Amino acid sequence: MSRLHVPFERHRLANGLKVVLSPDRTVPIVAVNLWYGVGSRNEPTGKTGFAHLFEHMMFQGSAHVPKNKHFELIERVGGTLNATTWFDRTNYFDTVPSHHLELALWLESDRMGWMLPAMDQAKLDNQRDVVKNEKRQRYDNQPYGDWDERLQAMMYPPEHPYHHTVIGSMEDLEAATLQDVERFFTTFYVPNNAVLTVAGDFDRDQALALIGRYFGEIQSGGALPPIPGTIDLPAKLGATVRDHVVADVPLPRVIMAFRTPPFSADDFATAEVARALLGMGRASRLYRALVRERRVAKSVVTYIYPLLTGGSTLLTWATGYPGADLDALEQALSEEIEGLADADQAEVDRAIALAETDLVSSLERVATRADLLSMFELYFDDPGRVNSELDRLRAVTVDQVRAFARERMGADNRAVLTYEPRAEVAS
Amino acid sequence: MIALDRTAPPKPGVIRHYDFPPVERRALSNGLDLRVARLGRLPVASVRLFMRAGEAALRPERAGLAVLTADALDGGTKRRSGTALAEALESIGARLDASTGWEGTSVDLYCLADRLPEAMHLLAELVCEPSFPEEEVERARGQHLAGLRQRVMDPGTLASDVALTRYYAASVPYARPLDGSVETASRLGRDDLAGYADANLRPAGGGLIAVGDLDSREVAALAEQCLGGWTGRPALAEDFAARADAETCRVVVVDRPGSVQSEVRVGHVGVARSTPDYFALSVVNLVLGGMFTSRLNLNLREQHGFTYGVRSGFSFRGQPGPFEVSTAVGNEQTAPAVREILAELSLMAEKGPTEEEVSAARDFAAGIFGIQLETSSQIGSRLTHLVVYGLPDGYYHRYRDDVRAVTVDAAVESARRHIRPGQAQIVVVGDASQVAGPLEALGVGPVEVRAVQPNG
Repeated sequence: MSRLHVPFERHRLANGLKVVLSPDRTVPIVAVNLWYGVGSRNEPTGKTGFAHLFEHMMFQGSAHVPKNKHFELIERVGGTLNATTWFDRTNYFDTVPSHHLELALWLESDRMGWMLPAMDQAKLDNQRDVVKNEKRQRYDNQPYGDWDERLQAMMYPPEHPYHHTVIGSMEDLEAATLQDVERFFTTFYVPNNAVLTVAGDFDRDQALALIGRYFGEIQSGGALPPIPGTIDLPAKLGATVRDHVVADVPLPRVIMAFRTPPFSADDFATAEVARALLGMGRASRLYRALVRERRVAKSVVTYIYPLLTGGSTLLTWATGYPGADLDALEQALSEEIEGLADADQAEVDRAIALAETDLVSSLERVATRADLLSMFELYFDDPGRVNSELDRLRAVTVDQVRAFARERMGADNRAVLTYEPRAEVAS
Repeated sequence: MIALDRTAPPKPGVIRHYDFPPVERRALSNGLDLRVARLGRLPVASVRLFMRAGEAALRPERAGLAVLTADALDGGTKRRSGTALAEALESIGARLDASTGWEGTSVDLYCLADRLPEAMHLLAELVCEPSFPEEEVERARGQHLAGLRQRVMDPGTLASDVALTRYYAASVPYARPLDGSVETASRLGRDDLAGYADANLRPAGGGLIAVGDLDSREVAALAEQCLGGWTGRPALAEDFAARADAETCRVVVVDRPGSVQSEVRVGHVGVARSTPDYFALSVVNLVLGGMFTSRLNLNLREQHGFTYGVRSGFSFRGQPGPFEVSTAVGNEQTAPAVREILAELSLMAEKGPTEEEVSAARDFAAGIFGIQLETSSQIGSRLTHLVVYGLPDGYYHRYRDDVRAVTVDAAVESARRHIRPGQAQIVVVGDASQVAGPLEALGVGPVEVRAVQPNG
């Protein structure tokens, strides 16, 4: 049995806005968290990066809130705020001392309902420059900075919405117009495409009344357009797909990725446990074998994307030592991944124990609680998944993990991206 | 029902104050300062063992030894291998990590509270009986050296590392990165690590901080049982003055041909954690570059679109750590961004923040205090600072009152004293062919262009 239970209740306003409330009065902090069902997957050709640029525009003011005022008001009361854009969604979050709940609801409702009157060309040009610098700082000027762009292009065909990155291309950002902002807002930033979660220190009846007051009069939007492109994917890539890069990187690196079922599929849990056996903790297979025993890797990373659309990706990477042979590094990584077909119960038990600690740890913050509740409500109409996640992982058997390794991690379902340091010029 | 007036921000509700949790303090028989804060929200335990074994106490030729020792610590104990230790910890869902800073080495433990007794025994085994197997030392050194190589090729890290050498005289420990250099780390072997650990990973002068769903008497008994037989005081101690490398403005461009952006650092030697100006200066920094709505960010990002973001900060340490503004800007915007940063520093140094700015920053600092102390690890980290910097027991219980007591005059005075644009060192990592000329034309000081050195 799980040792934690996050309380929550669900509501729905007449305009379609879904509301999740999760009280915890132990600390006088409250988190206001909004997930909109729009992300980079909704961008058609020629508009890549727009969902993220739009997220920046959401901080440029609304009818009753001047530019920078959202940040100023939240910081004035000692709160924090931010937003992120991803493939399937965009989230906005404010954490404030609990007596300022109404302020956060006012700000979030104003931009959900009345953003457009505050938009102008100067703001768009300014934030376009900011985003271009974000792209340079986080991707273009970084060693290995193009890895996710290259990997996505290998994992998803050109007609699939995950083929392009969230940050998008400079050309598409350049082409964005105020009319795009208006269309995007009226199409996607509508209450019937959003979840509002309030978690932490609040009075339930009062919060519900305030939410009705501030969000209730926002007009419902129309039906959402279909996701552009072709969503369906075969269960496997069908081959080992390769890309090799010679670049100004400090160390050789092998990135090996596998197509998995989508986050919504029952057997996604098996992929999560398989990933944990490979790379969670220092007793995990890749750390133990590649870093500690064979000492062929300086570090290893594993990650599984919780993506909804057609299929998702399980990722492993190994960073080698200077001068390491990439083929040998790939071979070593491959051997340990294939070794997963002999996984044992003790490994699974350790993975579940660590997953439990990590989940409880993440729930120490009301902002994370709110974020998880919003995600599960938006994705699965089931915020209670926050309480059943561990049981879902516990239900995975070692035989399922072994079968997953055999059937889903073989040569017919791999993308391999390798980075080779450019030869140094003798000085 | 009255129609909703959206034109003005709503008034706050009834305030509920954040209370820093009560802390029980006692000295263990070996001199370890034990502090336990009870936090009953979730069944977790966050424990941190702090030992006064930091990089600032090491001579230049031994730089990186404390960091490397901490990295190799989990390589094995006299009773079991590194992998067996990891298995024992992870089978009870415990995370354990050793890390080193300037002032000391910390071993952090996080687990569910009912697993603490087993986990504490493993922590004690790691700290008191490390075996430093040869192959694990090689592993840690290999990772360390490869990590230093990565630092040089990451433009942001490179800029920060080069900046330290421009702020501090070469003999000052703070002039080097915590990890030391390839030259110093290459020479360190198993005996160096084992000898360092034996002499310096010692309890006296250190602290054991436990936060979570815990009973302080039980924690004390457990600590005495696990760590009571471990004694002694670290052999090395800090002994240096944080001298500056230069008294006037200088610019260095580290050439990284083809860069699409410049990493920019502007700073100088700052102040120690013990400064009486701590609160006033913290308020000044919030106004300058410590919040989203700071002067620097509103100027460089929201007005000019030069950058994704810019921040400033004082690194308060045992001795005066750096004061630094850091950002990344487009190539053509490099010289204009440096000009704007220096203008903001000058304005702040001359006139200080306004009444309204001080008021906003005080409110921010007082309000965010509770949000930054939400988790057991956050509280544990702050409590550790009391031990590290010798702050009074009631420090955090009084924190908000102290920050609210900062006056405009005190803020203006501390800005004038501690922000010194005339001594600012400017470091740019970027494409020299594009940025050096315009930087020269700014006329703020001599501009040196250099290639990337293997050690930064």
